[in-house]
Amino acid sequence: MKKQAKIDFVKLLKGHKDGWVGISSDHTRVLLWGKTLSEARKKAKAIKEKVYFFPAGYSYSNFIG
Amino acid sequence: MIVKYAPLPGFPNSALMPMVPVIFKNKKSEFPTYALVDSGASISVISTVIADELDIDWMKIPVKTGLAVASTVRYHPAKVTAEIYGHKFNLLINIAEGLSAHQCILGQRDLFQRAKITFEAYKKQFEIVFREYN
Repeated sequence: MKKQAKIDFVKLLKGHKDGWVGISSDHTRVLLWGKTLSEARKKAKAIKEKVYFFPAGYSYSNFIG
Repeated sequence: MIVKYAPLPGFPNSALMPMVPVIFKNKKSEFPTYALVDSGASISVISTVIADELDIDWMKIPVKTGLAVASTVRYHPAKVTAEIYGHKFNLLINIAEGLSAHQCILGQRDLFQRAKITFEAYKKQFEIVFREYN
């Protein structure tokens, strides 16, 4: 059974208190940051690989879906 | 496929969540992000912020209402395509008003029809096996 590497958002988002980050397609590196999602999307256009967007600055403890 | 629960920032402690990378597509627009796999959610939802990124004119879609844990949710259903670990499928996504910008939840009606999903919280992982279609 194939195993996917753990996506560690704690490590990825460390040092980012707000805005949106663009994460690499292997989910191990932050490639860009934008104050807004729109800014992050603009920066991602200059990057050839697929960029996954995720917000910084939220607390997910005791999240009730 | 085995997927490890993802550590997410939290206070005072981080939280472990069953998350998957997902690429939503609507015509020529696409939005790669991460979604919570939620067996307790009957439908899949995204925020209006993500819907805007997909160029979905959600304000023109008739509103429906559903129940959440502590409130009623207003949402607008729209058809998109989703891709998870190379598997593409059509998805009826529900654009929920008032959600935090990032919120993206995959629930029973779509993803759980497409894949067998087994949660093993004691191992901090879940297994996702997509069904084969002829």
